[in-house]
Amino acid sequence: MQTVKARNVNPYIMLFIITLFQLICFLSLVTRVDEQYRSDILMTFGGYLMIEYAYFIGARLVLGRRGFEVELIAFLLTSIGLSITASVYPDGIVKQFIAVLVGIGGFVVLQWVLRDVKFCNSMRIPVAVLALGLLVFTLVFARATNGAKNWIYIGGISIQPSELVKVAFIFVGAASLEKLQSNKSLTKFVVFAFGCVGALFLMYDFGTALIFFFTFIVIAFMRSGDIRTIVLLCTIALMGGLLVLMFRPYVANRFEAYGHVWEYFDTSGYQQTRTMIYSASGGLFGVGLGNGKLRDIFAATEDLVFGVVCEEFGMIMAGAILLSYIALLVYSIRHSKYARSSFYAICACAASSLMLFQAALNVFGVNDILPLTGVTLPFISRGGSSIISCWMLLAFIKAVDRSTYRFGGVRQ
Amino acid sequence: MKTISKRALILYAIILLFLAGCGLLFYNLVTNSSDWAMNRVNKHLYSSGSLATAGDVKDANGIVLATTQNGARAYNQSKNIRLSTLHTVGDNAGFIASGIQTSFKDELTGYTLVDGVYNLKRYGKGNDITLTINSNVCATAYKALGERKGTVAVMNYKTGELVCIVSTPTYDIMNKPDDILTDTTGKYDGIYMNRFFSGLYTPGSTFKVITAACAIENIPDIYTRTFECEGKIQIGEGYVICSGTHGEINFEKAMNKSCNCAFATIADELGSEKLTATAERLGFNTKNLIVSDKIKCAKSKLNLTESAPLDIGWAGIGQYTTLINPCQMLTMISAIANNGTAVSPYLVSEIKNPEGEVTFFEKTETLGEFFSPSVAQSLDNLLRSNVKNQYGDSYFKGMDMCGKTGTAEISDDEDAKPNALFVGYSNNEDMPFAIIVVVENTTSAIKSAVPIASAVMREVKTEYTN
Repeated sequence: MQTVKARNVNPYIMLFIITLFQLICFLSLVTRVDEQYRSDILMTFGGYLMIEYAYFIGARLVLGRRGFEVELIAFLLTSIGLSITASVYPDGIVKQFIAVLVGIGGFVVLQWVLRDVKFCNSMRIPVAVLALGLLVFTLVFARATNGAKNWIYIGGISIQPSELVKVAFIFVGAASLEKLQSNKSLTKFVVFAFGCVGALFLMYDFGTALIFFFTFIVIAFMRSGDIRTIVLLCTIALMGGLLVLMFRPYVANRFEAYGHVWEYFDTSGYQQTRTMIYSASGGLFGVGLGNGKLRDIFAATEDLVFGVVCEEFGMIMAGAILLSYIALLVYSIRHSKYARSSFYAICACAASSLMLFQAALNVFGVNDILPLTGVTLPFISRGGSSIISCWMLLAFIKAVDRSTYRFGGVRQ
Repeated sequence: MKTISKRALILYAIILLFLAGCGLLFYNLVTNSSDWAMNRVNKHLYSSGSLATAGDVKDANGIVLATTQNGARAYNQSKNIRLSTLHTVGDNAGFIASGIQTSFKDELTGYTLVDGVYNLKRYGKGNDITLTINSNVCATAYKALGERKGTVAVMNYKTGELVCIVSTPTYDIMNKPDDILTDTTGKYDGIYMNRFFSGLYTPGSTFKVITAACAIENIPDIYTRTFECEGKIQIGEGYVICSGTHGEINFEKAMNKSCNCAFATIADELGSEKLTATAERLGFNTKNLIVSDKIKCAKSKLNLTESAPLDIGWAGIGQYTTLINPCQMLTMISAIANNGTAVSPYLVSEIKNPEGEVTFFEKTETLGEFFSPSVAQSLDNLLRSNVKNQYGDSYFKGMDMCGKTGTAEISDDEDAKPNALFVGYSNNEDMPFAIIVVVENTTSAIKSAVPIASAVMREVKTEYTN
């Protein structure tokens, strides 16, 4: 049996270091937070540590797994996000923790579903219909929040359906592998993809539309291997984008500050300049959790969360976070060589590319290297739909590793 | 799986792009960190646009000029000290660019790339900065200048310490006038500029020191020459007008009387090349002085390319397009006092971190030989002769003062008032101080600039000798 030949990082040492980091964050939170939220925070982080350890013990003893790189990264990043949320919005921490639990649950369940490639293939049409239906439903019934019309409210809970559709998108895109090299099998997926991207465009959620388009390109290339088709698709998309800008010039206005945010210091460059000012204030090691000032700016825990990390945790931690997204993609690329099915390879590469791309849009957006699109930073930004989506995408990455399904095998 | 995994390799290109973006991100962050962190909206450092938490700024005797009290900047109790040190200390909103509170913001707030603003969080204050200036001398200089615009500065010509810098117009930082923006009378013109560092003035006759230096270096028999002065002298088509009718005079007398006829003749004989060479050696056209590594001075200018002989004549007596920067001029005059070797002027003597450790102290640095010792000695004799025989030692009791006045015409308008200048130094071992005085739109230098120099040098004597 072939596996990736890499020096395995001792998971126990990693787990120990991560636990230490988490405990320091939690202790600093508990000592500083308002009395009324102390029990919420104790419950959240106590619960989080228990879930974390239960997962590792269960996976090690029951499933006999040895590699935990992917989960370690996710647990670390999630705890950074939880710490920032608890520190800025202690009243919303329980809600966020519940979303994390749902996400981890989704991760486990989706892993279990993915073991059966045949079943996954058979599910692709229903999932595609469901996903498109959800987007259309959102388009019709959503309320506009901060310019983008991408939230729906069900029973007091707000959901961002586009986040969940990300999971479905990769699922649909990677399934149906009978004719790997043919463009014909691609056609249906192209229609589905343009449906999704179009719906997001109509919601003015350009950031997410771009993420979907990027993921679509990755999947289309992995499936067809045809550079010409990719170039053609990109050209069509580019022309479509230009048409939108021609007929809807106010769309371009949203990006007017890009490249010279300091000239739009108090208007459309407000968030970016503040992020840069406070990122620089943190130095290499940060001013400490809770001591930052960027947290007072709108969307600090969502769009600007990378700035909060720079300011409060420091540039070194910020750099480590960026590297961890790269690590997930490298992991997927390396394992795809030995994957049991191309379905797994495409799933993993698409999911990890999506996260890397989303991280790039978020991080480079607030630092004026790319236009600001207002997407979340995977695992770290506050937001239930986002964290659930991230954990479920992680299942795709986990599934590419042959050793994941050591027991029970894969039903082909 | 071979096909798929080969295709997956192209994703490494995406990783490379991402890494390039990260590289750019951290490059921007590292190179701009101080500018970004020092932004006025940074609530770690500012409250409602004003520097809130920073270390102390003290004068040479430890007198506190600026400090932080209860999260706000507070300044010296004495109004005269506040008025006279405003441009040196700077405001807390960054209007006065060369002020210590702006140019040394990093140090005052304790900001570093590695620690960010953490030191400020930890100690509640940044580093303390001790300056070389003496606030009593500054206050005296300010009182002597009064309502007139101008600048006065005093420097130790052996060490480079700037013991006095005053620039007017000024305002009380604890009671800032609210009509600065709306005023139309011109009384606040250049109020945010430190004229000593950033000003450029027509030098008038003070430039004759440089013309004289060039003459001593290039005309061997300059001391045995005589010059004819009939109140004006024809050069080409035009005339250079003199301040008086001096008759037949020698070089030293020409200097004492500040004879324009003699110096225009000398300048024309030297020609543009030699004059320019001497001036550029002193920093004209070529060098912006940098004070204490941070404060960049304006650059003196002498442009004689393709100038007619008449213009060269005017330039040789400090008119035409010639401009001097007061700090550069003071450095030049200090070099004459220091046997020809110029020292670099400095303003910050010491920086202490919040734990009281000295993290920086300035050492005297030389800028090289501006004049050979013999030329410096000759100039010293001329300048001493000026005070002794022309202006009067009574202005500078107990000192062997050397100097040169200048009354610079700044407009062709008959009614326009000239700028008055004085540059000089005391030749006494225990008082190694050079001074520059510039008074704008006033009377002749002997009536306006010299009395100010007199008052300031007497205060320097009280403060520094016993």
